[in-house]
Amino acid sequence: MVMRSIASRMALWVLAGSALVLGLIGIWLLDLTRAQILEHTHHEAAALAANAGSQIQNRLDRVAVSARIVSSMIATQPGDAEQLLRDALKANTDLSGMAAAFKPLLVQAHPDMHSPFVSRGDDGKVISRDLLEDTGSYAEQTWFLGGLSCSAGCWQRPFFSKSRHRQLINYSFVIDRDNHPVGIINADVTLDWLHKILASVDKPPGAYVFVLDSDGNYLAHDNPNLLSKRADTPILKLLASDRPTSARLPVAQNTQARGPVWIYSEPIDGTRWRLGLAIPEIQIYAGVRHIFLLSLALGLLALFGVAMMTLLIIRRMMAPLGVLADRAAHVARGELDFELPAVKHHDEVGSLTKSFDRMRHELALHMEDLARVAREKQRLASELEIAHQIQIGLLPNEHYFDINCTSFELHAALRPARAVGGDLYSYFMLDATRLYVLVGDVSDKGIPAALFMAQTITLAKSLAPRAPSPDIMLQLLNQELCRGNDSCMFVTLLCGLLDTGNGEITLASAGHEPPVLCSSSVTRLIEVETGSVLGLNEDASYPRHRMTMQPGQTLVLYTDGITEASNHEQQMYGLERTIECLSKIPQEAAPEGYIRQLIADMDQFVADAPQFDDITALALSWHGSKPEVTQLLIDNQLAGVFAALDQCDEMLAAAGTSPLLRDDIRLVLEELLVNTVSYGYPDARAAQISLQLEIGTGAITIELADDAAAFDPLQSEPPELTGDIADREDVGGLGVHLVRTLTSEMRYTHTDTGNHLQLRFNHPFEERS
Amino acid sequence: MTLSLRSEISEPGRATMHVAGRLDAMTFGELDQAMQQLLPKVADGGTMVVDLAGLEYVSSAGLRSFAKIRKAMKARGGQTLLIHPQPQVRKVFDIVKAVPLSEVFSSTQELDAYLDSMQRKVLEENDDL
Repeated sequence: MVMRSIASRMALWVLAGSALVLGLIGIWLLDLTRAQILEHTHHEAAALAANAGSQIQNRLDRVAVSARIVSSMIATQPGDAEQLLRDALKANTDLSGMAAAFKPLLVQAHPDMHSPFVSRGDDGKVISRDLLEDTGSYAEQTWFLGGLSCSAGCWQRPFFSKSRHRQLINYSFVIDRDNHPVGIINADVTLDWLHKILASVDKPPGAYVFVLDSDGNYLAHDNPNLLSKRADTPILKLLASDRPTSARLPVAQNTQARGPVWIYSEPIDGTRWRLGLAIPEIQIYAGVRHIFLLSLALGLLALFGVAMMTLLIIRRMMAPLGVLADRAAHVARGELDFELPAVKHHDEVGSLTKSFDRMRHELALHMEDLARVAREKQRLASELEIAHQIQIGLLPNEHYFDINCTSFELHAALRPARAVGGDLYSYFMLDATRLYVLVGDVSDKGIPAALFMAQTITLAKSLAPRAPSPDIMLQLLNQELCRGNDSCMFVTLLCGLLDTGNGEITLASAGHEPPVLCSSSVTRLIEVETGSVLGLNEDASYPRHRMTMQPGQTLVLYTDGITEASNHEQQMYGLERTIECLSKIPQEAAPEGYIRQLIADMDQFVADAPQFDDITALALSWHGSKPEVTQLLIDNQLAGVFAALDQCDEMLAAAGTSPLLRDDIRLVLEELLVNTVSYGYPDARAAQISLQLEIGTGAITIELADDAAAFDPLQSEPPELTGDIADREDVGGLGVHLVRTLTSEMRYTHTDTGNHLQLRFNHPFEERS
Repeated sequence: MTLSLRSEISEPGRATMHVAGRLDAMTFGELDQAMQQLLPKVADGGTMVVDLAGLEYVSSAGLRSFAKIRKAMKARGGQTLLIHPQPQVRKVFDIVKAVPLSEVFSSTQELDAYLDSMQRKVLEENDDL
């Protein structure tokens, strides 16, 4: 959560980056400082060691000088040896004892000579004795023999004097007479002063000083445990040199020192002693480490401060961004009216805020634009919808059968690819017996095609009275359409004129698809010789094709929208499939059945591929010539009505009408006739109702005529059906509702002779197929 | 073929009227008359069953007769049930939505089941009281 903020991430990175840089520089500085400190320490320690060495040297030199003086004096006055020794002992407190040992043979030769040994007692008193009186002669002892060979004087090995309870070393110097060694001066030196000197060395804390004798044993050491012990090989190796040296030992022999130590050695001239100053490395760097840790802590503190400041500053700078992000969410919701943070600085955030403001304004304009375009689009869509309605209005009903003329039936379907299209169909009665049928396809699609289609349909109707046959109709239509057709649109048209009396049909085609004739035996294409399309060539003429339809035959007219309908594999439905589909439909099927099945088959073939062209199909069935009409005259009494009902029922039964349809017809007639005799004659006069029954192959038509009070069953309000007629106060209106529901078609006219009601009952399709 | 009627009272609370033939403007009076005689014999709150098994045809006049029966029974707290409607009758009923579908039965079993359930309901209500 915290890390999501740029400010905190920035602060963290600043902290991390600075810490890294600081750390690297610190390590480098530490390294440099350490080197310098080390060098400095080397100098200091070397000086210290040299100083301590020279102090020791001085003391030793004094002993040596005393011994030499005494030696030279004793050489001339051997009898005063004891006194001389005593004086020397008094003069030099470092001396613990001093002996003048002559060769025993020489002493025996001179009775005034003896080998005195003067020593300082524990109480400080000087006592003396004659060495010759000691048990066992010293003449054979190493200190004496060694001393004799040391003409220039030499320091012997240290030893522990049991009589004086301390460690001593002695310095031997030859007593020389006439260039002959006659004895030696042996000066015993205590090492107390050595310890004092070492203790007085101004060494850094933790450091320690030691002195090694010629054998590599510790003569003196700040750590008393190591006294008289042999030094480690690395130390010996290091101190083997005659010159002052320094070296680093990874591990010190002195257990009081931890870690590696630096050893600085100083040779003590005249002896083969070495003075060593040992400083633990940890002590050398203690100061710098302390400073470094302090600097590190301070540095980290400073970095933390910097990070905090970065955090605060960036937070302050980024604050407007948070507001902008929130406002962007507003924009996403389409709300553009909001406050933006004030622009305080003309930096990136400031310019972003300004851009945001500009974006909001431009977005508002853009949205307004969009809304206007959408409104425009909607208006266009609604206009298109209206155009579609108008175009549909131009087309006659999909289904047509004439109550006056039962010998034919017609069904058409038109499905535009867009809201409006260029396909057309039309039909109308030219006179009482002849029917014009037209199916056409305008060259384009969309609104121009729709306008051209509207022009064609309207012209065809208005030109029909002047066109006794389809070829003349096409010729007239062509001439009219060519006029002012600068856009060179054209229409293909198939025009037929059916004589409903005898089934004779005349066809003329203007470049249109040939029709298909369906009969029980064979379904075939009618090859109609075509003229040129309408609208292009003013002088075109059109050949005429005559044929006679047999009762029950159906002629199917269509546009290329059917045959050229394509599926996803770009295969076209085609003429062959069209004919095959039509041939499978039973001949008795109504025209509606033909159209439905053809379009359903095509739809199945096309599946859900988009429709590119308008689709139109029209089926025209001829049922045969007009059947016989039976007229009944009915008395306006219930008895008369029911007698007529029975008579009708018998006639229908004789004609093979299905019992269900007979029941329907009986019910309709009963309702209408009972209605008429019950309410039509309020004056109760005797009258007759005429009933004309015509039993056709496609339908049964009945015409009722009476002079009763005018009553149009089509105009009465449909009853309110609550689901329970017992609820209703008035149960009237049910009969008329039944009539309207059960008749296929009903037409009412009122003339001066009275009411005329025409009823049509179609044979149920299921019954026939 | 005209109308023929036959009525039976199986128990005081239940009467059955068998209607056969054609019920139209000519014959509905006969049914109305027969019902006027039969209705008083049914106890208040009883059930009138109209068996339409033999009725081939009905017109709006016949519908009015059925409506009258139902009204009369309702007024006395009873109910009218129609059974065995034939195709034409059913079609007319459907078109004018003459009676609630719950009161039309196509078989005796359906009717008996319905009456049983009604009876149980009444008994349960009595228990509740």
